[in-house]
Amino acid sequence: MTKLALTINGHAHGPVDVRDDLTMNDYLRESLGMTGTKFGCGAAQCLSCVVIVDLPDGTSHTNPTCVVSAASFDGKKIRTIEGHATGGQLTVLQKAFIEHFAFQCGYCTPGFINEGQVLLERLARTPIARADLETTIADALDGHLCRCTGYVKYHEAMRDVILADPGRFLKGA
Amino acid sequence: MMKPGRWLSVVILGLVMVYVAAAGAAMSAGSDNRPEALASPASFSGISNTSRRSAAYFTELGKVLTNPRCTNCHPVGDRPRQGDMSRLHQPAVFRGKDGFGLTTMRCSTCHQSANFDPGRMPGNALWHLAPLEMAWEGKTISQICEQIKDPHRNGNRSLHDLIDHVGKDTLVGWAWAPGFGRKPAPGTQKEAGALVEAWVQSGAACP
Repeated sequence: MTKLALTINGHAHGPVDVRDDLTMNDYLRESLGMTGTKFGCGAAQCLSCVVIVDLPDGTSHTNPTCVVSAASFDGKKIRTIEGHATGGQLTVLQKAFIEHFAFQCGYCTPGFINEGQVLLERLARTPIARADLETTIADALDGHLCRCTGYVKYHEAMRDVILADPGRFLKGA
Repeated sequence: MMKPGRWLSVVILGLVMVYVAAAGAAMSAGSDNRPEALASPASFSGISNTSRRSAAYFTELGKVLTNPRCTNCHPVGDRPRQGDMSRLHQPAVFRGKDGFGLTTMRCSTCHQSANFDPGRMPGNALWHLAPLEMAWEGKTISQICEQIKDPHRNGNRSLHDLIDHVGKDTLVGWAWAPGFGRKPAPGTQKEAGALVEAWVQSGAACP
């Protein structure tokens, strides 16, 4: 057993004892009932299970939860899909996904939302040229699998959000 | 005398039994994760010619260096390989500027400080790709031998450094404790280190 204390969506959890063989995905879904984080392939290949990890330097990245231990998240700050909307209000990115009907079955959507949010925050810190936008979106979402093949719609939704606020996300706009 | 129909049944049953036995053997072979043996330096003492003996040490060491546990992370391109079949790593990950992955997908995102067998995830605190100039994938043992002696292509290591790199480095050592479902590199890390030491001390000749 290992002690685990972390912050999820701004709320402190733990310290609690967790089994060393407990995955982070099981901790979220089974121990906390936070089933928004999905379990897909179980091998970090579909990335439907990713959460956002917020680093002390203000940057963030996504992290699969199905192949890593819960204990490895001790002391970390993470965000899950449940943490995006505030006061019942969806984020701009969530609204864009709905407007584009980017998802179909929706199973991969939490992973795409988390990845997209990380990209938006990265571009807000470090804007890019308009010419690099398509590649940047494709690279960011690369690796996330959608069995309903909604890739183009996810991409278009991301592009719309970024182009709707060029002064924030694009250089020289 | 057996009727023709009965003969046919016997033949079919026999073929099925052979197939089942072969399939069982194949499955058994596929799931055999016992490491192969590695010969000790002493076992080459019968080779009186020093240079040939030195080359023989390296040939034996080559069983380790060309093993997927090593070559998968010494790729010729920007993507590591994985598994005993050395398939391209999935998900698609890339070397990045420092060999520790791209900004958006660092190796340590999944590969943590130790193997996590419930997730079938191999791990080591220093998990990363060997630099491109140290790529071994697809090379012969002779080519690797010449390469590993070249400081420009071996991480700026002296021959003596190689003894510790192979024999004591913890990331290299992972190859002998790769976790669930992966076949370890031949022998032990200590045995591999002993072969490198014997090879260096005998003139570091290449096969």
